[in-house]
Amino acid sequence: MTAEPPESRADRFTRELADLKISDPAAGHPRLWQRLGAALMVAGIVLGVLAYLVSHRTSSSLTQGDAVTIGLGGVTLAVVGGAIFLRYSLTGFLRFWMARQSFELNMLAERVFAGSLLTKSDGAIERGGAHRLTRSDS
Amino acid sequence: MSEPWFAGEREGSMTPLLELRGVRAGYDGVTVLHGVDLRVAAGQVVALLGPNGAGKTTTLRVAAGAHPVSGGRLVLGGREVTGAAPRDLARAGVCLIPEGRGVFPNLSIRDNLLMMTYAGRSREQIEELTYARFPVLGKHRTRAAGTLSGGEQQMLALARGLATDPAVLLLDELSMGLAPVVVSRLYQHVAEIARQGVAVLVVEQFATAALSIADYAAVLVRGQVALRGAPDAALRAELSDLYMGSTR
Repeated sequence: MTAEPPESRADRFTRELADLKISDPAAGHPRLWQRLGAALMVAGIVLGVLAYLVSHRTSSSLTQGDAVTIGLGGVTLAVVGGAIFLRYSLTGFLRFWMARQSFELNMLAERVFAGSLLTKSDGAIERGGAHRLTRSDS
Repeated sequence: MSEPWFAGEREGSMTPLLELRGVRAGYDGVTVLHGVDLRVAAGQVVALLGPNGAGKTTTLRVAAGAHPVSGGRLVLGGREVTGAAPRDLARAGVCLIPEGRGVFPNLSIRDNLLMMTYAGRSREQIEELTYARFPVLGKHRTRAAGTLSGGEQQMLALARGLATDPAVLLLDELSMGLAPVVVSRLYQHVAEIARQGVAVLVVEQFATAALSIADYAAVLVRGQVALRGAPDAALRAELSDLYMGSTR
């Protein structure tokens, strides 16, 4: 039986690319969503102002009822638009923030691990008869 | 396949890992690349040269999937990946080292390397490989990257790129702001990386250093490959004419 030669990086690259599930580039369009969110926010505010003007210029309770409906629709649009805008404008920032958090957690874990090793070795000296404070006590 | 780019391509002994076919791209409706063709095989260094504003960096960004194309195709390892997200290409093994070094100046060398463990290698593995290749980084491992010399920062940028185990390495203006002797040393490292089977595309405004290690060179002028070939005396002479604007 002959051993197979190790796969070269180029061969692995070709194989991995062939298997790679490439996400549809049209699926994301974050900038488009961001613009849509901003447009919805503006439309909501415009509808709110419009509803106010409509209700202010009439004494008909029916028309005022319509204006309330339009106003509520405007508020809904503004809230939804705001949420979409925030979602797509903050994604990049939050990704970096999460990477930073994970990096700092990693560092903290390393420090805690190193500290516990130091405490253990100090404990061994203590058992040997020498009186010594551990790093966490000092 | 159209006419071969390099020896061995026609016979199939050298299959390109990176291929740009008639790529067109631009910014805000202004076309910068007008049908760029480019190929880089495994273990090969291709130097992409040209004057300022020729579209070199855009070509590199297109190759990394970081810039959308308006026409043409991006092919990696024989598979068309036009329009793929840069994170997918990076995961597969495409690494772009951008102009301006791209290191975290406030983090130490060790922490800069730690940031690259996302690709699957452990911190110990990355540090071992890095310090073996760039001993000077090992000496200053706890120093903030921002306090290193330009050449050392560029070494760190290279080391960060290599930590991801790339199959295709894209280097943008490695020589920027560095002394010629430092540039020459850095390019020796790049040649060494290519010898290990990595396909390297180097974008460079200053041709001499890049041509010293390149297997092949292409000159981009106003978004088109105006000249290509092995970096021999004839190409250097024509390159000089292109740079100096000779009308010979």
